Amino acid sequence: MWVKLILLFLFCLMIAGAVYFAEPSKSEDSNSTPRTQGSLRLLTWNIGYAELEDDTRAHDKDLPAVADVIMREDPDAVALQELTGDAQLKALLGLLKGKYRGAVAQQGNGDRFEAVLVKDSRATFTPVSVRNRYALAASFRSRSDSPEVVLLSAHTDAFNAARRRAYTEELIDWAQQRAQSAPVFIAGDFNFELKAANESNLYTDNLKHDSESYSHILRGFRDLGRSAGDTAINDRRIDYIFGPTDLKRVGRVEVLRNAAVGRMDHWPLLVEVNF
Amino acid sequence: MFTLLKLELEKLFRARSFYLSFIVLIGFVALMLWGFYTYAARKTGGEAVEQFKYTYESKQYFNGLTFALYSLLFSFTLLLPIFVSMSAGSQIAGEARTGTLRMICTRPISRASLVLSKFLVTALHAGLLLAFFIGLNLVVGLIFVGWGNLELYPGPLNLVDVPGKIMRDDALMRFGYAAVSGTWALLVIAALALLCSVIFESPVQATVMTIAAYLTLYIVGRVEFFEHLRPYFFTTDMDFWRDVFKPEIPWQNLWHYASVCGAYTAGLLLATVVIFERKDIVT
Repeated sequence: MWVKLILLFLFCLMIAGAVYFAEPSKSEDSNSTPRTQGSLRLLTWNIGYAELEDDTRAHDKDLPAVADVIMREDPDAVALQELTGDAQLKALLGLLKGKYRGAVAQQGNGDRFEAVLVKDSRATFTPVSVRNRYALAASFRSRSDSPEVVLLSAHTDAFNAARRRAYTEELIDWAQQRAQSAPVFIAGDFNFELKAANESNLYTDNLKHDSESYSHILRGFRDLGRSAGDTAINDRRIDYIFGPTDLKRVGRVEVLRNAAVGRMDHWPLLVEVNF
Repeated sequence: MFTLLKLELEKLFRARSFYLSFIVLIGFVALMLWGFYTYAARKTGGEAVEQFKYTYESKQYFNGLTFALYSLLFSFTLLLPIFVSMSAGSQIAGEARTGTLRMICTRPISRASLVLSKFLVTALHAGLLLAFFIGLNLVVGLIFVGWGNLELYPGPLNLVDVPGKIMRDDALMRFGYAAVSGTWALLVIAALALLCSVIFESPVQATVMTIAAYLTLYIVGRVEFFEHLRPYFFTTDMDFWRDVFKPEIPWQNLWHYASVCGAYTAGLLLATVVIFERKDIVT
């Protein structure tokens, strides 16, 4: 009898312990930062479609919805991926009623383009050649009295981790050099698969390459969207905004999960910072 | 109770399967050493340097502690639960198979004490296996791969979100913690196998059923279709033991899951005792 009583007592004790040590659910800090000098609101969004579609690039019919999100959230700069080209960007800028200026990157190996939109009318755009692809950088000011910052819109290979790694290394080389003169933010769809728990294998070269790419970025930059969670369907966090490590404050960090329309497989990531 | 424990210990140390489990672990360490050594040599050779400018695939990364960590994490998932299931699954069903269970139960000892003593011996076996395996990996790692700090990166092993490092002496301490937390996690398997050992008459059946339950939940837990069920699997809770290898040990989380595993173990043991006390022993 005493053995059963001891086991029952242990069982109850362990249940009580599990309840006592259960972590309270984390409340997300979604407070907006008041717009001041040095404050910046950035948004990144891959507006392309999931792999199952015939054309996985952005669709013109979705542009009004994309413009609505941008107008509503009012970011200082937007990094977009998977546009079909300059004509699509012009259509989007038209829907934004002249509030933003923008440019698309040059065409690399693929059939899709990265783009950056900024409010600053004096912004300059620089194509960044990375491994047979092009990223696009915009230099701009969030307010006329704010210091100049640089936003890079990037999109790494979706199918090959080794190519993602090589791309990342070259991109970060460029960003680190540019960061000597202005704060640099890197935003885009990096396709890093870092959730090992979701892999059926215990260890793969792909996982290692993505791990090392991500770790390489974190040597000089801060992952600003980490707390916001998944950014794409199937529980994937593959869209990132990286920023300087010495930011004064990171305010609102949010994945806008109701924003996707049509067969989009990504959600926009919004980050507010003070630097 | 102490006499019972002494007798069960004698049985454990006399069993061939006890020594076989250690021999298989030695074989696994040898296999890991070969795989790790050739992988490290390939990745730190010309191939990686030509392809990538910046790499963590340095000789510093591939050291004895990294080797021991990889070996431990790989084996803990599949190898150690098999030996624990074999040890616990044969405890009661093995006695029934050999025809000694009925005789034991005619002696003036309670069935509950018998179950408890057999569980404690299984727990000792699990603890010895894990401690031996960790010690062997560290010694082999030191001799054949070399010492260094334990560097951790996001992705492989799924331990950290950002790159981290554990200094050598601290890392050695963490392996000590892992021996304790790992044994505690394995006790869930031991308790389940002991329950199966009471329910089924054959030790093979008890072991296979335990391993089948473990593997089913482990595999189903990795399939995205069943993601919402994952928190309810004991295999998910058992994963807490790895937390000791995080640069900052999340103690609260660790105690929570250790308590959940403890509840599974105590609950399964209680069920085992209740069923065994009511069981009509005919062999």
